[in-house]
Amino acid sequence: MRLFRKTKKADTDSKVLVGGGMDGTTVLRPEDTAYNGMPSEDTVLSVRGLRVSFASEAGTVHAVRGVNFDLKRGKTLGIVGESGSGKSVTSMSIMGLLDSNSKVTGSIRYNGEELLTKSDQEMSAIRGKGIAMVFQDPLSALTPVFSIGDQMKEALEIHNPDMSEEDVTARSIELLQLVGIPNAEERLKSFPHQFSGGMRQRVVIAMAIANNPDIIIADEPTTALDVTIQAQVLEVLRKAQKETGAALIFITHDLGVIAGIADDILVMYAGRAVEKAPVDDIFEHPVMPYTMGLLGAVPRSDKGKSGRLVPIPGSTVNLADLPQGCPFASRCPLAVEECRKVEPNLEPITGRVGQFAACLRSDLVVKNHLTFTDVYKVGESTKSIFDGIAREDRNIVLNVNHLRKTFPLTGGGFLRRKIGEVHAVDDVTLDVREGETVALVGESGSGKSTTLLEIMNLASPESGTIELFGQDVGARMSGAERRRLHERIQYVFQDPMSSLDPRLPIYDILAEPLKVLHTSKNDINKRINELMRLVELNPDQVDRFPTQFSGGQRQRIAIARALAVNPKLILLDEPVSALDVSIQAGVINLLEDLQNKLGVAYLFVAHNLSVIRHISTRVAVMYLGRIVESGETEEVFEHPQHPYTKALLSAMPVPDPKVAREQRRVMLQGELPSPTEKIIGCPFASRCPLKITLSTEQQLLCETEPPALDDWGVPGAGLNHMSACHFTNASVSAS
Amino acid sequence: MLKYIVKRCVNYVIMLFVATSMTYFLASAFMDPRSNYMERHPHPPIESINRSLTNANINDQTPILVRYWRWLKGIVLHWDWGLAPDQSSVRQAVGSRIGASVQLVTIATILSIVLGVSIGVYTAIRQYKWQDRVLNMVATFFLVIPAAVLGLFVALIAIWVNTKTGVRIFYVTGLHAYDGGNPFMWFVDFLQHIFLPTIVLLLPSAVGYHLTQRTYLLDTMNEDYVRTARAKGLPLNKAIRKHALRTSLIPTAVNVAFSITGVFTGAVITETVFAINGLGRYFTTTISTNDINGSVCIAAFGGLCTLAGALLADIFSAWLDPRIRLS
Amino acid sequence: MTQGQYDETTADEPNEAAEEKRHADYKRTGRMTLYVRRFFRRPSAVLGLVLLVLLVFFAVFGNKFTHWTYQDLDFAALGVPPNSDHLLGTTSGGSDMYAMVVRGLGRSMSIGFLSSILETIIAAIIGTSIAFFGGWFEKVGMWCLDMLMVIPSFLLIAMLVRSSSGTAGWLWLTFGLTVFGWIGYARTLRTLALSLRELDYVRASKFMGVGSFRIIVRHLVPNLGSVLIINTVLGVVGSVGSETSLSFLGLGIKAPDTSLGTLLNEGQSVAITAPWVLLAPSLVLIALTFSVQLIGDGIRDAIDPNSRSVGKAE
Repeated sequence: MRLFRKTKKADTDSKVLVGGGMDGTTVLRPEDTAYNGMPSEDTVLSVRGLRVSFASEAGTVHAVRGVNFDLKRGKTLGIVGESGSGKSVTSMSIMGLLDSNSKVTGSIRYNGEELLTKSDQEMSAIRGKGIAMVFQDPLSALTPVFSIGDQMKEALEIHNPDMSEEDVTARSIELLQLVGIPNAEERLKSFPHQFSGGMRQRVVIAMAIANNPDIIIADEPTTALDVTIQAQVLEVLRKAQKETGAALIFITHDLGVIAGIADDILVMYAGRAVEKAPVDDIFEHPVMPYTMGLLGAVPRSDKGKSGRLVPIPGSTVNLADLPQGCPFASRCPLAVEECRKVEPNLEPITGRVGQFAACLRSDLVVKNHLTFTDVYKVGESTKSIFDGIAREDRNIVLNVNHLRKTFPLTGGGFLRRKIGEVHAVDDVTLDVREGETVALVGESGSGKSTTLLEIMNLASPESGTIELFGQDVGARMSGAERRRLHERIQYVFQDPMSSLDPRLPIYDILAEPLKVLHTSKNDINKRINELMRLVELNPDQVDRFPTQFSGGQRQRIAIARALAVNPKLILLDEPVSALDVSIQAGVINLLEDLQNKLGVAYLFVAHNLSVIRHISTRVAVMYLGRIVESGETEEVFEHPQHPYTKALLSAMPVPDPKVAREQRRVMLQGELPSPTEKIIGCPFASRCPLKITLSTEQQLLCETEPPALDDWGVPGAGLNHMSACHFTNASVSAS
Repeated sequence: MLKYIVKRCVNYVIMLFVATSMTYFLASAFMDPRSNYMERHPHPPIESINRSLTNANINDQTPILVRYWRWLKGIVLHWDWGLAPDQSSVRQAVGSRIGASVQLVTIATILSIVLGVSIGVYTAIRQYKWQDRVLNMVATFFLVIPAAVLGLFVALIAIWVNTKTGVRIFYVTGLHAYDGGNPFMWFVDFLQHIFLPTIVLLLPSAVGYHLTQRTYLLDTMNEDYVRTARAKGLPLNKAIRKHALRTSLIPTAVNVAFSITGVFTGAVITETVFAINGLGRYFTTTISTNDINGSVCIAAFGGLCTLAGALLADIFSAWLDPRIRLS
Repeated sequence: MTQGQYDETTADEPNEAAEEKRHADYKRTGRMTLYVRRFFRRPSAVLGLVLLVLLVFFAVFGNKFTHWTYQDLDFAALGVPPNSDHLLGTTSGGSDMYAMVVRGLGRSMSIGFLSSILETIIAAIIGTSIAFFGGWFEKVGMWCLDMLMVIPSFLLIAMLVRSSSGTAGWLWLTFGLTVFGWIGYARTLRTLALSLRELDYVRASKFMGVGSFRIIVRHLVPNLGSVLIINTVLGVVGSVGSETSLSFLGLGIKAPDTSLGTLLNEGQSVAITAPWVLLAPSLVLIALTFSVQLIGDGIRDAIDPNSRSVGKAE
């Protein structure tokens, strides 16, 4: 790591400029015109002109290109951006944890001390004491071979070598209790693999706050976690910040997550800050078209479906080969010739205190009060070919009855004998009709993906029946019949990166399902051409390889492959969750259009409630392999009956700071029970917030009797809304 | 933990039994002790040949299963590993040579692990620096030198040093030459003898450990938990030593088990080059004299060494890795 | 660590893929070009390649540069040092060392390459089938593999080769090296095949109704390909090592045929009096194994998605 800018100069600068406020009136450093304001007294961290580049095969990657911001004591700064925006690289350069093949220039000052000139040894005195960090993936963040206690102890002893053994233990227990780990004293002896993901993230947070740092950097701390666990961890972070009075840098791709927690927000695109403002301003009146897109392109879980999503066109730029001018220009509907020539700097917006944007058209946006829908073109949605035909009158394409799937649980050792079984799918019943989208929603371990895989197996399930187009898949079939079934049911995977063989050109990938049906070469060519147009890709690109496409394009290819044989039903396993926010909308729109045009039915698995609410007509909520609530999507979202659904809905982050701050969350206690645990009664009983309000006899019922999926006599519910809770009525009246 | 080890042991004993039996059948099929006699001119009378072969239980006219049963009974009941074609006892021959082999192989194995692993760690931390590049080149070089070439060259160099200095610093044959009663002199003499063969045995396996340990450590060095450790305030080198090293030692432990075979093979060449009367050299004798019982006994001993190593590796990795220990 | 590891979705993607993902249409580097470029960026790999080409050339055309053959005995020149007639001198028996080394190199090379290729094929078939069939078959298969690794294969090969001699001896030796040499690779390939079986695009083909054989040929073998190549290349070093060791002990190639190991055996006894007899085969042998190893390392590094040999940013 080398530092090019001399710190001496920065010193004199800051002396001259003390008193410069955040209003952006003192833009003084000519080499950093993007610079906006001087650090004031309570600034703990001040980043100026930060640039980071890496060497790569494709050339030098400019990951961060001139980022400036100040972080004030006790405040929370949210850094938002998609993959490749440079947000994580920024945080790693603050920590001094970048790889040695990177080049960092600019200035990062922590309490006035320049960090970039420090050696690893000097930085290590600050890391963990002054600046602490929480990482994205809790499963790999803890050393597997050391106990939690040892790792806590290490965090304390590095910076307090004189601390006595008893003090260390006492403080460790105190910290673990603070982050909400039950039986803290005993758990000190546990090893990371004995903890769940959420629990491990709590431990990481406990280690981060161990030495009362001034700054906590949280890099996507909840991205790898389930929604209800995410809510818990956010709460812990908030608490930790309050206890320590630390400033927080919260890095995320999800604006919803930080709406309730951040004070200021910095939006990054292609290594640059493109907009910066207090949280309310960002959400209320964003200026930069990219920010508008990030906010507007995502469906909302707290609002009903209001129509078609509006995607941001195009995909992210190549950081190794940046175009001239504004990197967003090629995707921006407002872009003019000027935008493609000059890259704008982050400038204050006239008339908006504290809001900055790097956009040449900001005056236009502010003057005309342009909003997302003004800037982006709202497309026309196609009319469904089943429009006007009632659900009851449509054919059933998939009928699953009392499906069960268990996995044997084997012990270690040579003989690997069976020590129990996991009920991955437990008595699942659902049906999908022509042209509709049925969604399965649940957290990890709820069995939603297993359900899809069981259906895809096209074989007699362990227990229960699966009927496709009226045909029992367990029945004896000829090879031709089975092929015909394959033809009518297809699958789309979560990650288009891994579901397309990187070694085959697109043509071969799309031809594969057609070849199974012995289609002639001529017909294959014709069909592939059609398919590429159908998913809005250029048919001339069929001889390219998957790696040459962006994530969104690849998912389109995967969808095209599924459509190749004209299926009547497509099972989709989290088809948009691996995609960047700005391209998700485009894929969702495509799925909707295809359904309307072709009348194909979807069985859609997702954990993201907003996507589900937008795309599905019916929804089934799963918990521990069982459906706990099902019905029409709007009905379930508006009037949830099962306590789990309620908790899930309330845990969902809302991209609106005002709502988020006032949102009353049903915080679920504890975690998903271990899969080995034998549950006799209601699977949700151990975490149920409703159960603890019940009488002892009622609780006994929950613990001993599994509730069936039923409408429980709720007026007007019928088949359109069912829930599996003994006290559905009680829960409805309680809310 | 104890149950785990016992289970492993039982499995290993079965494996050893099957493998040794297999070797017995293989050796009986491919080795022809009768030719020892038939190649003489004139060859001894057929009856006397048959008598000798039957006495050693290696007569190819006796059904193989009968021979196998006798052989097995001898081992199980009397720990008798049979006779060589020249009617000498295999057990005695092995017993008298085992000491030399054990001395040689043990010292070389321990030294090579210590040396190889430490150089591996040293170079991994300095990846792509000149120390790493130079040591890697040297390691690659020693890794590919066939044992025979290495042995001969080390011996030649030692002889050259001896003649240059005019003092007999290194002995190139045997393990002991001193007959007196002075333990210190005995030890110096032993060192003078064992030094060269140890070098020859040690170099290839040490560089093997060096290269694999380097790879394992480089893999674990990029793990998230090392980054976490650094974020807590550990300097890079300390974070690697404390957090990455331990996990990266687990695959090395497994390697040690399987490399014992390699040490054994290397010892055959080394013992031949340095005229050490150990098991390796005995093995070449058994093969060239069509000594079925002798070679099977050596193979069984080799197998025992491998499995002992495997068991040690099991225990070691369970000790290092709580995920194994606690499951 | 590369920049790919800093963003959220691409944590374990190959560097260049992550790179490509972000900017599909702009700057692209083909996979093969990338591998070749990375390979040739390593001086050691290039050195290895040049060395091996020279050795192959020497083994194939070397006999054109002398009128002696490896079977000729020159009784007028017993144990003479290198001179203009006998380019590398003669042995005490009067054999021309140059012709012997050319012949021995050819033998050792063909044994090394042949057995390594055969080993890889057997290992690939057995390793992948153990992984694919799974269940009971896998348990028994793995136990057998472990069991076969118990007895040092060197000993078994020696037993097998013992009974063969004459000109077909080298084939027996190749056979022996192959039969007992594949076991370790099979284990590695099984582990690899296990993870391939779970790949999304393999499952995708299965869901589309593509036959198992087609899946293996189209999606799995190409994926194992790089590993197979590396294994084959590095396996040559092991095979050559075993061959020379056995021949050196007098248990492998025997007269009248010759290999580098046999020549070493001959050189051992005259190491002091006629060092050229030992030196020539030793140097050629080291050159052979070293070059192959450098090439193998080069390929491995070129294919490794986490390769850091990218250089530093300017």
